[in-house]
Amino acid sequence: MSNFEKVGDGYSLDLTLDEAQILINLVEQLLELLGEGDFFHHYDSNDPLAQLLAMPSEIVTPDDPVLLRLLPNAYADPEAASDFRRYTEPQLRGVKQRNLRLVREQLTVLVDENLGGVIEDLDSDIWLKAINDLRIALSIRLEINETSFETFELLPDEDPQKPVYAVYFWLGWLQENLLELLL
Amino acid sequence: MVKTLSKGEVSVSELIDRPWITIVWDDPVNLMNYVVHVFIKLFGFSKERAHELMMQVHNEGRAVVSTGTREEMERDVQRLHEHGLWATLQRDDKI
Repeated sequence: MSNFEKVGDGYSLDLTLDEAQILINLVEQLLELLGEGDFFHHYDSNDPLAQLLAMPSEIVTPDDPVLLRLLPNAYADPEAASDFRRYTEPQLRGVKQRNLRLVREQLTVLVDENLGGVIEDLDSDIWLKAINDLRIALSIRLEINETSFETFELLPDEDPQKPVYAVYFWLGWLQENLLELLL
Repeated sequence: MVKTLSKGEVSVSELIDRPWITIVWDDPVNLMNYVVHVFIKLFGFSKERAHELMMQVHNEGRAVVSTGTREEMERDVQRLHEHGLWATLQRDDKI
């Protein structure tokens, strides 16, 4: 069973190889969705001034429901939301990418050695946010609602959704485990 | 016909001074303890106040977590989005 632990002033996480692999796969899928690398290159701009300032002239509201939940509208008014998105989405996307990359970096050490083990001195804040973003992403795909745990329990073992639900609830448990140490 | 507003009803200065608010909306994903943790971290609330606001989000579907200028509320919304909470800002509709 994986566990966060408080060690001195820092935190560590004990993972089996399977758990580390599941996490790294999820992180990579979400990074792919968010786009790797320089976050400005995703936005086309024909406005020379915007190009000069590396500022997109417009950022389209994401179609993908996971992206829309992770990079939500800040205003109910579409025009204000679009304007705010133009100035802030690259930064928001960048923060989420950085968190996930850091987590991936620490997981890669465990997976490359083909061993489970303990990640020492992890940044609890970054891990909390990264786990939360992974849970949000899975929740949209699974259409999680207040009764999803009952749905999960009633699913037959051969249902292809069952392991996805299991990972979703495991991540919730993992996050709660870290929160108990922090609160 | 447009009625002239009498004293005590809305005035221009009230409209200008009307603050902006940051609203956090309920979702079925964020853990209660996580929301409390984020409220304490971002707004410096006591554990009791953070818990109270989290319960308001949970029971009423939304809660106002901060009030101030538009720029301040935009910054709060951005920080809440960085933490995966679902937040919006608007003018306070109470006059």
